[in-house]
Amino acid sequence: MAAEVNEINLGRTFTAGIWEQNPVFRLLLGMCPTLAVTAAVKPALTMSLCVTFVLLCSNISVSLMRNLLKPHLRILMFTLMIATFVTIADLFLKAYAPDMSRALGPYVALIIVNCIIIGRAEACASKNNLIVSITDALGMSVGFTFALCVLSSVRELLGAGTIFGYPVLSNGWFTPWLSISLPGGAFLTLGLLLGLINVITKRNK
Amino acid sequence: MRSIKHFIEQSWLLITAAFLCGLLLALTNAALEPRIQRIEIGEMYDKMKSLMPQADKFEKVIPQAEIAGNPTDVYEAIDKNKQVLGFSFVGTGYGFADQIKLVIAVNADASKLLGFDVLYSNETPGFGSRMTENWFRQQFVDAPTGTLELIKSGQADKEKDQILALSGATVTSTAVVNIFNNHIGALKKLLKEKGLIQ
Amino acid sequence: MDYVQTLIMAFISVVIVNNLVLTKFLGICPYLGVSGRLDMAFGMGMAVTFVITLSGTLTWMLDFYVLSNSALAVYGLGVTRYVCFILVIAGAVQLVEMYMRKFFPPLYESFGIFLPLITTNCAILGLCLFLRIWEVNTLVKAVVMSFGAGIGFTLAICIMAGIRESLRTADVPNTLKGAPITLITAGLLSLAFMAFSGMIK
Repeated sequence: MAAEVNEINLGRTFTAGIWEQNPVFRLLLGMCPTLAVTAAVKPALTMSLCVTFVLLCSNISVSLMRNLLKPHLRILMFTLMIATFVTIADLFLKAYAPDMSRALGPYVALIIVNCIIIGRAEACASKNNLIVSITDALGMSVGFTFALCVLSSVRELLGAGTIFGYPVLSNGWFTPWLSISLPGGAFLTLGLLLGLINVITKRNK
Repeated sequence: MRSIKHFIEQSWLLITAAFLCGLLLALTNAALEPRIQRIEIGEMYDKMKSLMPQADKFEKVIPQAEIAGNPTDVYEAIDKNKQVLGFSFVGTGYGFADQIKLVIAVNADASKLLGFDVLYSNETPGFGSRMTENWFRQQFVDAPTGTLELIKSGQADKEKDQILALSGATVTSTAVVNIFNNHIGALKKLLKEKGLIQ
Repeated sequence: MDYVQTLIMAFISVVIVNNLVLTKFLGICPYLGVSGRLDMAFGMGMAVTFVITLSGTLTWMLDFYVLSNSALAVYGLGVTRYVCFILVIAGAVQLVEMYMRKFFPPLYESFGIFLPLITTNCAILGLCLFLRIWEVNTLVKAVVMSFGAGIGFTLAICIMAGIRESLRTADVPNTLKGAPITLITAGLLSLAFMAFSGMIK
């Protein structure tokens, strides 16, 4: 009986991160990398991979030591570990994908202050056991990846006519809408997407 | 003041974690540093090689030269017969909203430019980013190493020291020409001082 | 005179041309959250300016004198850069908050509540990283640019607060109320600020 309840909870934890509690679209966390790297799909996917790695490692380590944390030093602990994992991710990017590292620039380091990671460490990993924390991390990561993919595909498709570098809309009848690749376009696209999501959720109610 | 015991009791986890994190960072760095170094140097070498294909190796002749206020290394390109092919360096300037870093090459007696390649730029896609296109970069090949002039409308009989700007990207084009004008004169003076050219 | 001119150009470039919020996407979370009212927005802006100047200077000094150019740098200390930056920022903010609560209670009342929020603000860490990318070589320039970044943030958030206050009486469709219309406004503001690009040669 307890095992069944546990499984349902795990499943719900996982799917919550993807839609109901999607970190970008619903919780409005982690906006900075969302807007900055979504001019094309490839950097967006690289960024979501890094965030997945850091979120997993952070949730696992915080969950493992959740009983040892002193309350007023815990934010410092979280920050220290997250910074370490982000530095490791950054080093791996520089070594194995230097062009992506250059495209992402300082935004990889900004994962440290990404509200998603500290938020999940505080809200979930420090209070739950290892399995739940891992599931939550995976769910949030999938949700984040989904959000970034949607945003970046729209921006890359309309802004350059390509997806992942492959030309999809030919140059003949389609003139790329350049301003969507600019910062202004990022804000506009995200705002309109959020409005669209509001429409969808209202219709489902 | 609370005792040392209280202090250690509260923060032992933090201190241990700090040590472990430091260890982890040191290990990762030690493992990946050689690869990262090779990649960083490799990119500049690749661009210099593309400007001077017959070069066999590049020797750093003036480290941290003070040209136009930014210290940069000047390299000498030497071909298989130990002849000097030219000199190259990285010139930095300020473009539309961010830095532009160009790898610039001049010939052996610093009388002609051998062209440039872009090392770093963050120009507007579709406008300033077109400075990497061949027709724009080709204008700098065989241009004299004097002051370059930017012109807006194209003439088929334009002078060798005139550069036709990118349409819709005046700021970026001006920035590129300015990088040349700021660096080449100072480079020639420096090379003469060091006795590397006549 | 040339030196002062360089400093003024650097200041203007960070406030307007490279505004941290509208062109570099830093500090969006408080930007969306706190820009509802003009007085709160101004308080947030002032808090951010103070923290950003302090931490920008401290981290720049740490980076320049210890992590990059000192005798210790050969041991690869650069790899601890991000950890050191964020710990310095967190520590500085904590100390400032304690100091302010003890010695300047009225000041603490007006903008001290924002201080804990600012530690995880992308803008602070982002500025410290951008100071490296922009290759800032002197302490004075680092201080000026950090201060300018804070002023730029205040400028952006106050403009947004003014617009949002007007939007409250406008006819915004229901699905766009709240975050979507704020983001769309930010997008239009960002496009407007693009006009300043190329001002600095």
